[in-house]
Parts: sequence; structure tokens; C-alpha cells
Amino acid sequence: MISGHLAHRTWLHAVPARGKLLGLAGLTCIAFWIDEPRLLGLGFAIVFVNYLCLGREARGRLKLLSSLAPFFAVIGLFQFWSVGGEAAAAILLRLCLMILLADLVSMTTPMLDMMDAIEPVLRPLSIFGLDAMRLSVAVALVIRFVPALMEEWMTRNEAWRARTGRNASVRLLPAFLGGVVTLADRVAEALDARGFGRGRKR
Amino acid sequence: MTPATSTSIVIDRVGLRRGSRLVFADLSVSLSERRIGLLGDNGAGKSSFLRLINGLLLPDTGEVRVDGLVTAQARRDLPRKVGFVFQNPDHQIVFPTVLEEVAFGFRDRGLRRDDANNRARDVLRRFNCHDWIDAAVHELSEGQKQRLCILAIVAMEPDILVMDEPFSSLDLPTRLDLMDLLMSLPQRLVIASHELELLSLMDRVIWLSGGAIVGDGAAENIIASYRETVTNARKHTAVTG
Amino acid sequence: METRSIVRAALFAALIAALGLVPRIDVPIAAGVPITAQTLGVILAGILLGARVGAASVLLFLFVVALGAPLLSGGRGGIGVFFGPTAGYLIGWIFGSAAAGFLMQKLPIGSIFLRALVASLIGGVFVIYLFGIPYLAFAAGLTLDKAFLAGAVFLPGDILKSILAALVAKSYFASRAPIK
Repeated sequence: MISGHLAHRTWLHAVPARGKLLGLAGLTCIAFWIDEPRLLGLGFAIVFVNYLCLGREARGRLKLLSSLAPFFAVIGLFQFWSVGGEAAAAILLRLCLMILLADLVSMTTPMLDMMDAIEPVLRPLSIFGLDAMRLSVAVALVIRFVPALMEEWMTRNEAWRARTGRNASVRLLPAFLGGVVTLADRVAEALDARGFGRGRKR
Repeated sequence: MTPATSTSIVIDRVGLRRGSRLVFADLSVSLSERRIGLLGDNGAGKSSFLRLINGLLLPDTGEVRVDGLVTAQARRDLPRKVGFVFQNPDHQIVFPTVLEEVAFGFRDRGLRRDDANNRARDVLRRFNCHDWIDAAVHELSEGQKQRLCILAIVAMEPDILVMDEPFSSLDLPTRLDLMDLLMSLPQRLVIASHELELLSLMDRVIWLSGGAIVGDGAAENIIASYRETVTNARKHTAVTG
Repeated sequence: METRSIVRAALFAALIAALGLVPRIDVPIAAGVPITAQTLGVILAGILLGARVGAASVLLFLFVVALGAPLLSGGRGGIGVFFGPTAGYLIGWIFGSAAAGFLMQKLPIGSIFLRALVASLIGGVFVIYLFGIPYLAFAAGLTLDKAFLAGAVFLPGDILKSILAALVAKSYFASRAPIK
């Protein structure tokens, strides 16, 4: 199943999701007020050590940040050039610190707990016809259909390669998208057949 | 569980169009047997017939009554009464895990997550599928997926179970297993299928062709005349064409 | 929202995710240029499903990412992505998809290809940058013009994606009536 959540339990797993989210919000606000690179560096070091202590899987997550490297390089260069090294370091450290902190929360909170934790925030949205039940079904559908659609794409890709010997092409997209819309309408019909949303309040 | 004989399905002078296609001009039939099979070539109207019973389709003229409820007025209550199992499990399964899929019906009726999960566990245990409780749906075989679809619907204890080609992509052992499962259910069944073996287990078989009933009666008689008609038609085209 | 719209939004959210996870897709008109198809999915959600459902699918995708699913291309996910310098682009996706869908429905251009091209250039490039670049400037403490320069490296790729989106839309609508 798709999840960014660490399989083995760590001490952070024991902290309730709502507590972690509030903590994250608080620390983020504090980090915005600090301009001192040494202080930010200290915070970064603490979080970084935490990653190292959480095991190999957590350390592996650090690698995912490399996709942001070009951005950090450009930002760093521009800043260094306009406001000097100290301010550039402060900005980069603050960005990294906040990303790592937030990832720490996500890594140690299963998606269902996260969903429950934010449910009170979502409740007011029901006036726009978005009740928690519909949203949780929608989220489940996304997670259910990511592997299914990838498999479908791979099958089409394989058939294309068998015919042309070339890699997947955007030419496959229109038929693939058409298939997704048709699939969606079938799934909607099956949900309606089960009385989705009809069984409760009127 | 409701006794099987108390419910009846009445299709009363129904006319139905889907898009530009006329599916039924004037169809009337009353169903009260425990297990009913629908037979007919592709496009004969079997799927529309089933959708009329569940209220997914409403007739343009005439009416459909299920246990006295007129489908056009009781759309909201019909899914409780009439469970629908589709041909392709991938169209029906909404959730990434087996437990969530079975629990969905309970959740949709307003049960809390824990209660719904417990009820779902009970159902899975009752049908000897307790070792799937935490399985991810995309790891199940086709047969397991179809079994899951049936359980998720049966869990809600509908009076009637409607199925559209339930076994079309399954191997023989799996088909036989699922047939056993279906025959053991207390629900009344209405099954559209090309599977003559499955149809032969039904109490009554209705043969649809071009939106009209061309045969209706005991399974063996209808299946035999269907087979004969198809074979003769092929001989005829082989000679003339 | 009716069931059909919810499921369409959910499946396109899954599609945007799947497009970010599949190995590279080759582009015939620029052989060898690998693209991440994720933003292509965002634009197409708007153009094919309409403004409302398209935007809902992007919102849902981002919601699932925020819950912790590693579905952004490169395998990123979790709340952390909304703390990065590129978070503005992600928020821009919602409005970009809506704008592309709106323009696709309203623009008085007969040719589907041209209409989709203008819709994706405005929705998929201009609107997304409208959110992405100011946020980049804010998060990284840059002036707007520098932030624009930093973001401009993606411009050629994004224009290419708009052309692709238009080609896909043309071929898609050739076999189906446009969604009203």
C-alpha cells in the first residue's frame, strides 16, 4: 500500500497526531522569527540527529530532498550575491529545518490517524457539501487506484513496445485518459448501486 | 433475514431508452422464485434488466416494484434491499484494503469506524476469509476480488442479490467455489450470465432477446432451447452465407 | 458533489499520482527529452473534466499528499512538501487546473487544438507561475525578478507540456463529445 509512513515504530509514533501537528505549527512560527544562522543551524542539527536515530528507513528519506537541490543552489547563489553569506545560510537552513520537521511528523503518523486529527478542521466544509464520509471515500479511491492505473499504463506501454519496439509515448495518453474516465463512471455506478450517501441523513 | 418468499419483483409494462437505443418497448414479468437466471446474447437487455431492479435505471414508462416499493419513488432505500455485484470487481472495489471495503457499507449507514470494522471482521470470519483482513486489494487474485465484492454486498444483508456476469474472467475451480458460495446464501438471486452451468442451478431462467422475453421457465428447458436456437442459426448462416 | 464527479476527481487524482511515478515518457516531437508528466496530468484534469471537477481532483491529490502519501514525482510526500520553496506551485496547480478548464469551456476558438493550447498556456503556465514565483520569492527571501529568473529554467519544459496537453486534448475529444 502507498504510504510514506515508517513501518517500524519509533518514539514519535506514540505522540498523538494532533499533538505533533500543533508542535509543528508552533516550531514553524518560531523558526520564522529567528534570523540567526547559528541558532537555526543548531535546530537543524537536532532534527538531523533525530533522523539518524530513527533508523535506516528514515535516513533514506533524506535522499528524497535531493530533488529540491537545484532550487536550493539557485536560491543560495542569489542570496549570497545580494545579501551575503550569513543571511543566505539562515534562509537555506530555515527552509531545510522546516521541511525536515514536517516530514518527521508525516513519517511517524499513519494516514488514517492524520485524517482523524484534521477531521474537526474539515467539519465546517460540510456546508459546501463536502462531508467527512465523502472525503474519506475520495481519499480511499485515490489510494486504491494509483497502483491500478499504473498497472494499466504499464500494460498499454508493454503492448506499445511489442508493436513498435519504442518506449511509452504521449500518443498512448488519449486512449489511457479515456479509459480512466470510463472506469470512473463505472465505479460511480457501482457506488450508487450500494447506496453511497443515500443510506444516511436525508 | 427476510424469508425468501415474501419479496417479489414486478416489472410492469416497462419501456426504457438508453441514449438513442430502445432497450425495452413493453416488458412485463413477475419474479418470485428464489433463484432466477437471465440468459441472452450481448445487447439483449440483461444488464438493463438488472439495473431496473436496483433503481440504477428508472423506466421511462410503466413501473418496477420490488417488494411493493416502486423503484422510481424508493431509489434511496433500494440499495439496502437489492445488492448489486458487477461483472468486473475492479469497478466495484472502492477501498485499498479488504477490511475497509467490507466496512464501507456499515460506515455509510452511519456506524463509527471501530464498530464498522468489527462488523466487517465478523463477516470475513463467517465466510472463512479472516486471513485476508489486512490484505491489500491489489494483491488479491481475480477470484478473491470477486469473492470480496460478493461479501461486501452480502455483509449488508440485502433481501435480493443481483449479479451481472459475475464469473466472466475466472478459472473453473474458482467458478465452482463461488457457485457453492452463492448457493449457500440466504438471499434471493437474480443472475445474468452466459455461464450455462451456473444458470442450470437456477429455479427459473428467463431468456431475453432484443429487449423481449423469448423464453421463460425451468432452467433445463430454456437452456436446451437456447442452445438449439443458437446452433441452428449458425448452421443456417453456414449454409446460406 | 454527485457520486460521478467525486469518483472522476478521485481517479484523476490517482492519475496525476500515477503519471508522477511511472518511468519516463518519450516525447515524439522532441526525442529524448524526458518529462515529468505530473503537471501534464494537472492541466489535463482541468481540460478534460472541466474547471470544477478538475480543480477538485488536484485539491484531492494534494490533500492525499499532505496526509503523507509519497505521490509527488520523485517520491516526495507528507506535509513537508508544503514547507518547501516550491509549495506555491502546488497551490497554483489547483487554480491552474480550474483556469484551464474554464478557458477550455468558454474560449470562442473553434479548433480544439488551439483552444486547448491557449487554455493550457494560460492555466497551466501563467496561473501556476502566478502562485509559484511570488511564493518562491517569499520563502527564499528573493526579490520578484530574481525569483522569476530562478523559476524560468522550467519555462521551456512547461511550454512543451502545454503543446502536448493540447495534442492529447485534440485526440481525446476527437473520440468523445466535450464535457459540458
